[in-house]
Amino acid sequence: MATVQVSEAEKVYILHGIRDDLRVDGRGCEDYRHMEIETDVVSNTDGSAKITLGHTAVLVGVKAEIGKPRPLVPNEGYLEFFVDCSANATPEFEGRGGEELGTELSNTLYKVFNNKHSVDLKSLSISAGEHCWVLYVDVLLLQCDGNLYDAISIAIKAALFNTKIPRVHISSDDEGGKEIELSDDPYDCMRLDVENVPCIVTLCKVGHRHVVDATLQEKACSVASLIISVTHKGTVTCTRKVGGGSLDPESIYEMTEAGKRVGKALHAPLMKLLQQEESLGTKRQKVGFLG
Amino acid sequence: MLKSKTFIKKTRSGGVMKIVREHYLRDDIWCGSEVCADCKQESTVLQGDACIESNLCAYPHYLIPDTNVVLHQIDVLEDPVIRNVIILQTVLQEVRHRSAPVYKRLKDIIHEKEKHFYTFTNEHHSETFVEREPGESANDRNDRAIRVATKWYSQHLKTSAPDAEGLKVVLLTNDNGNKQKAEESGLLVYKCEEYIKSLIANPELVDCLALSNDDKNEVTSSKVLFPEHLPLSRIQAGIKSGTFLQGTFRASRDNYLEATVFVQGEGEDTTEVLIQGLQNLNRAVHQDVVAVQLLPRDQWVAPSSVVLQDEGTAKDDDAEEEEEEEKALRISAAEASRKPTARIVGIIKRSWRPFCGMLNTSQIKESTRHLFTPADRRIPRIRIETRQAATLAGQRIMVAIDGWPKHSRYPNGHFVRSLGGAGDKETEQEVLLLEHDVPHQAFSQAVLSFLPKMPWCITPEDMMKREDLRHLTVCSVDPPGCTDIDDALHCRELDNGNLEVGVHIADVSHFIRPGNAMDKEAANRGTTVYLCGKRIDMVPELLSSNLCSLRSNVERLAFSCIWEINHKAEILKTRFTKSVINSKASLTYAEAQMKIDDTSKNDDITKSLRGLNKIAKILKRHRIEKGALTLSSLEVRFHIDSETHDPIDLQTKELMETNSMVEEFMLLANISVAQKIYDEFPDCAMLRKHPAPPPSNYDILLKAAKSKEVEIHTDSAKALADSLDMARVDGFPYFNTLLRILATRCMMQAVYFCSGMDSDFHHYGLASPIYTHFTSPIRRYADIIVHRLLAVAIGADSTYPDLMDKQKQSALSNNLNYRHKMSQYAQRASVAFHTQLFFKSRGILNEEGFVLFVRKNAIIVLIPKFGLEGTVFFDKKDKAAPNLVFDEEGPSLKVEQHTFHIFDRVKVTISLDDSNIQHQKIRMSLIDPVIPGVSVPVPDVEPQAKKPKLDR
Repeated sequence: MATVQVSEAEKVYILHGIRDDLRVDGRGCEDYRHMEIETDVVSNTDGSAKITLGHTAVLVGVKAEIGKPRPLVPNEGYLEFFVDCSANATPEFEGRGGEELGTELSNTLYKVFNNKHSVDLKSLSISAGEHCWVLYVDVLLLQCDGNLYDAISIAIKAALFNTKIPRVHISSDDEGGKEIELSDDPYDCMRLDVENVPCIVTLCKVGHRHVVDATLQEKACSVASLIISVTHKGTVTCTRKVGGGSLDPESIYEMTEAGKRVGKALHAPLMKLLQQEESLGTKRQKVGFLG
Repeated sequence: MLKSKTFIKKTRSGGVMKIVREHYLRDDIWCGSEVCADCKQESTVLQGDACIESNLCAYPHYLIPDTNVVLHQIDVLEDPVIRNVIILQTVLQEVRHRSAPVYKRLKDIIHEKEKHFYTFTNEHHSETFVEREPGESANDRNDRAIRVATKWYSQHLKTSAPDAEGLKVVLLTNDNGNKQKAEESGLLVYKCEEYIKSLIANPELVDCLALSNDDKNEVTSSKVLFPEHLPLSRIQAGIKSGTFLQGTFRASRDNYLEATVFVQGEGEDTTEVLIQGLQNLNRAVHQDVVAVQLLPRDQWVAPSSVVLQDEGTAKDDDAEEEEEEEKALRISAAEASRKPTARIVGIIKRSWRPFCGMLNTSQIKESTRHLFTPADRRIPRIRIETRQAATLAGQRIMVAIDGWPKHSRYPNGHFVRSLGGAGDKETEQEVLLLEHDVPHQAFSQAVLSFLPKMPWCITPEDMMKREDLRHLTVCSVDPPGCTDIDDALHCRELDNGNLEVGVHIADVSHFIRPGNAMDKEAANRGTTVYLCGKRIDMVPELLSSNLCSLRSNVERLAFSCIWEINHKAEILKTRFTKSVINSKASLTYAEAQMKIDDTSKNDDITKSLRGLNKIAKILKRHRIEKGALTLSSLEVRFHIDSETHDPIDLQTKELMETNSMVEEFMLLANISVAQKIYDEFPDCAMLRKHPAPPPSNYDILLKAAKSKEVEIHTDSAKALADSLDMARVDGFPYFNTLLRILATRCMMQAVYFCSGMDSDFHHYGLASPIYTHFTSPIRRYADIIVHRLLAVAIGADSTYPDLMDKQKQSALSNNLNYRHKMSQYAQRASVAFHTQLFFKSRGILNEEGFVLFVRKNAIIVLIPKFGLEGTVFFDKKDKAAPNLVFDEEGPSLKVEQHTFHIFDRVKVTISLDDSNIQHQKIRMSLIDPVIPGVSVPVPDVEPQAKKPKLDR
């Protein structure tokens, strides 16, 4: 991943600042940077969202396709994640450079969504054991400026919120043969309930304290960080520790608590924002990638 | 401005796909009106004074029809009276989607300058584009788009055409909802019927109106006569699961209650399914693609051999019904060998076209509803509404089917146009061309624009690329009166003692370049159609009779095939070249024959002809030794009166040695070319094959020969040819010819095909392993393709993608085969019609003939003198049938005491039966042998029949 070179003096400056709850860019320890979200940015997906967080930019597209349900859960659909680290984001991703990171990110996403509550997978079932919707969630990193996990998770939540799955119904003829019929009204579609979709909060241990939404410089000063995915109710669906250093149990507890607090606070304005955008309907001026 | 159109589609594998298309809106789409001052258009289509006498719209106006009006009332729109119409892009697209034939007709109208039809691309106009709203169906959106465009037009004309006072636009729609909404938004809107009826000056247009749904309801009683057709989705599901079968519906010519459906199975094989009874036929019309459901085995029936014609009249629908059912029952009772029988559950695709036929006027004088009887017996009668019944009676007219509701005995249709009086030569010719789907319109301007500019001459560049063969003594030999000469020959002695023989074929592919309008038209026409006294050209006349025709003493471009042959007629060398020739003489077969026979002549042409004739004889002998068949069919030639163009005499064509001479070299050229193009392009050579007939085809021939104690071997073409040569009966010189006629009937049809799509190339009749058509490019399109292939093979011309595409080649050969078959049918029909004319002028004739076939209730008699075949029926409607015993093995038919065998000599009287003016036919009755109650007395051979001829 993208790294920056930070000198000893800078490190000390950053460390001391954080100790006093004042970060280099003026934020407090539990503050996010400025965040911009736009949904419905890629017209040939079924749902999409673009997010910029600081200079980190992430695009998420959701494609709904009809597939076969997994044998163990015949009455549920499923989600597939793929993270593409584009060489646009940083030259290090060129060739197969981004592959490892991409796999790591997508594995984390599988873990985050691997529970009954995040998404109502039963609603994705079309006919038990035969057909279900498979949502392909494709994440594209456009620019890396730290805190990829949080940005990706927020973008996924927004994209899932925006996803419109064409409504289908099963018609069966006299012989019991089943046929999927598609509604011919393009506006006739199904929406997902994204209330319980968790967001990831990454906490970076810097010195004795921890910060959310670390910049690359702060990251360089950190020994280890904790990834916590939190739902709007504060339920933690997944935690992971990343980074080379170790964390003592006490600080893990502290960080988890902080993560829950921050996560809960993140969900409410996000949902409000998404609903507000939705209510504008087709009259909304689209910003897109050139805005 | 950019918009995107999004729609969701189901993929073939069952998935769902979202498709997004970019859609650009523009602000430079003009209105097309002459009077508009704002639009910066270069040329205008719509006239300023768009006046038509209407008591609804007294002001000048443009019409905007909606999709359904175009789809259903295209016949009205085609009328020259209807002009200044705006066709919206929305409408055009929907029409294209829903009906390809209507779309084509609409495009033709739009291209016609005098019609002033303007296409307005409203979907791309920034002010008239509408996006589909939530909850709105696609149709509703289109209707709204039409209304928005109409609104735009009415405002646009108001503001930008102040000079044209009162110029308005009128929306035509038959949809009540749409009409109401249009009225609400202040548009001028009428129903199509309302509007057409308001055209005071043109009442005849009303007849062309197709019946719309609400009209149909009042026409007939609510009684349901037919089972409902299943919706397409059910049919598709049924076909998928195998409960229904899909096939092409073929009505029976002889029995209106019977039909067969050809179901295409896996691969090549097709199965025939029988359909019997009005209910089971369920409103299918000949050539429709239908879905059928097989009946349980115990309800299977056998095809009846009874001839049933629908004689019912319009008014007594109900009484008729029981009678029909009765008839149908009688058929099923008489069955012996059952066949798979089915009923029709739905129609997948209608293939309705305008049908030619005649009107049966209703007995009620004031009635406007009449029944129409199509010329093709396989098409049911059609109920139409017309006020011009009195004028139309006795005329050949065209009628289109609009629909067939389930409570109506007959389909509903409307009058399209009149072709002329029945029995007129021109009218009948038109009818037979239309009925055989022969494209016979004059060539369009687009086609003619590709003709070379006159005066045309051979340029030095042409000369550079071609071999100069002008010094050779080339001559052509053709039937008399031939103007499209596509072959010429030469023969000269070389210094080494061998002979050089050349076949020179008109270089049509030099003039017709691939892909242009002329090429496409020729490919569609496929062949020139020769009718009696009329030729329907495949290429414009300038080419067929002038520039391509290898006339004498002019320089012409040719494609030459030149052999070096020794005196034993062995080919030593073959080469092909594009050339320039100068034919020294255009001879007829008779003239050429005279030159050869006249020993006093010794000029170059004669020497050349003699050389050719000598080689041809040897070639023919070789060919026959290899097993080529000499078959026989009688061809008739009419002597046509030069003034009235009526046939005044009839004789069978006479064959001379020179006929066979020319034929021999054409065969040689075709085979040489076939080999060459196949060697060069094994995947995409256009060849012609003649499959060997299946052994069962020969049954009739074998039985017939056996009855005269002659043995015919059919194991191979060679065996057949030899045994035909041996077959002679003392005192019956005509026997051999009759046998050959019979053998011809056993043969399969020769077809064009693409070498990459087939593995069997054999030409059975010619006993050649490979064959193609190269020698008549003026009148056959296949030859043009072969010319192009050969030109590419020898590096004389460049190739193009379609030529090398075996799928396209294959599709093309299918069309050529179809056109070829239809042109033969048309030709036969034309001969039959002229034969009728001839017998009409000659009255009753007594002639001697031979029994060609024996049927259950009739014998088919051939009159060699006229090459005419006719049927002598032994059972008549109004008389009790005589005692008939049919023996299939013989085959023989015992009528009372007399037994008829094949080849029996009989005497018949021939007369014209014009009791049914639509289907006039030659009637034959037996005179000799005399069978009481069956044969007729010998009528006086007409002194009166000669009279009209003498009077003239």
